[in-house]
Amino acid sequence: MSIRGAVKQFRTGGTAFRAVDGLDLEIAQGSIVALLGPNGAGKTTTLDLVLGLTRPDAGEVAVFGDAPRRAVQRGHVSAVLQSGGLLRDLSVRETVTLIASTFEDPLPVGEAMERAGITGISKRKVSKCSGGEQQRLRFALALLPDPDLLILDEPTAGMDVSARREFWDTMRADARSGRTVIFATHYLEEADDFAQRIVMMAAGRVVADGTTAEIRARATGRRVQAYIDPAREADTLATLRALPGVTDATADAGRLDVRTSDSDAVARLLLTELGARDLEIAAGSMDDAFRMLTERTAS
Amino acid sequence: MNLTYFRIELARVTRNFSSMFFVAVLPAFLYIVFGAAQSYGSTDIGNGNVSAYIMIGMAAYGAVTATVSIGGSASVEQMQGWGRQLGLTPMSDTQRVVTKAAVGLCIAIIPVTVIYIIGASTGAEATPKVWILSALAVLLGAAIFSFFGLFAGLLFRSESAVGAASGSLVILAFLGNLFFPLSGVLLDIARFTPLYGVVALARYPLTEGYLASTGAAPTEHDELWVPILNVVVWAAILVVATIWVSRRGRARQ
Repeated sequence: MSIRGAVKQFRTGGTAFRAVDGLDLEIAQGSIVALLGPNGAGKTTTLDLVLGLTRPDAGEVAVFGDAPRRAVQRGHVSAVLQSGGLLRDLSVRETVTLIASTFEDPLPVGEAMERAGITGISKRKVSKCSGGEQQRLRFALALLPDPDLLILDEPTAGMDVSARREFWDTMRADARSGRTVIFATHYLEEADDFAQRIVMMAAGRVVADGTTAEIRARATGRRVQAYIDPAREADTLATLRALPGVTDATADAGRLDVRTSDSDAVARLLLTELGARDLEIAAGSMDDAFRMLTERTAS
Repeated sequence: MNLTYFRIELARVTRNFSSMFFVAVLPAFLYIVFGAAQSYGSTDIGNGNVSAYIMIGMAAYGAVTATVSIGGSASVEQMQGWGRQLGLTPMSDTQRVVTKAAVGLCIAIIPVTVIYIIGASTGAEATPKVWILSALAVLLGAAIFSFFGLFAGLLFRSESAVGAASGSLVILAFLGNLFFPLSGVLLDIARFTPLYGVVALARYPLTEGYLASTGAAPTEHDELWVPILNVVVWAAILVVATIWVSRRGRARQ
């Protein structure tokens, strides 16, 4: 899958809004990639481009070397879309049968339902299914063409914690070797657990791209917190900011908060020369990484 | 055409009791009350009797209600995400439209069949030619009105708007000279309303253009070109309006 210089504009009233703004992205076959970003970052628009549901105003999108719509017609690509998109007065089995009938050589209806774990509710009306059950139904629909690339657009939005875990267990059980999975989410923990690679988006662009460990390290390093004498705050901060590796240092009423790639040096200095107490060192969380990377782009 | 899709869509509509009520049960009931049960029902009129005249009107009302609600729900569900779901399948827009149109036509046949059977067994009389030609004219009118449903759905994007569109058919049916014989100024206005042409055309084989009246003898008469012109003009308006509103919707996305 490759996207080169894609731009997609929307017009609301008189102003044009660039949902995707010069995006470049390559995803190799067989990888599991998370597309992470706040609301309005352009995740859904990017996935729509890959699925051929919308066309870029500029740039190119290719999926397995084909135009996206062609790849969809051949059954190479499939997706679990965000909420909506189901007919409420059909039963679960009818919905799967209906979508299966549009493909030339689909998986048997029973098998798709079995793999998505909805065999037990096959006679239930879609309107009576919970959010998690509807999402599994969408997953069954996505399995029908047995796609090589599976796209999930915020697949667990609106699910409670246990439904979310069950959904990912199903996904994991199904993730056969060779199937590429791209999923959009704003749950960092999901990206961290399930993806091998994380692509972070903000304002229609890629702001970070790498393994989960790389992203975490690059964005934050470590965080050192300690208490100092409030009277000497200004001096202490000046000293710390001069240290190599320190990216950020703040203090409030004697509580010091430092971000650095070299936590050992900061800790040594604080405990020996600067008279700090109650010192704590923590690894940066994905949340911190996320906030830093996206805020940096916004400002 | 995709037969599985066709079968499931057809099942979906027929088991929806409230829509089937307005499509088949209500018009059949109206026919029995205003046609079969009335003493004037057996009065001769052109190539049949008054019961047949009312029967054709009610069949048209049921058939048009069917296609308006199917057309409307088609455009609403398309915009509420089902279109995106189908966008992930090899199914083309043309296939989808053809399948939906076939479903609409099948559903429109239901009220015509039901009301004609009830009519035949409760004293509606007409020559065989009248039965066949009026049924075909009713189905043609119903096909045209499916654009009215599509248009309303695309314009207002909600289920309730589609409900309002089918509801407004009661007014159009009244103005279409369908429930009650109009006369005077009201009839002059009625000739310009969309259901008038469809109903007048469907009744033409029966009365050869004479309109039923509440008096002793028919006083009003339409040449064949009047209903035909009405149908052609309204078909053009509805089709153009639907295309216009669907373009507008696409530009916004």
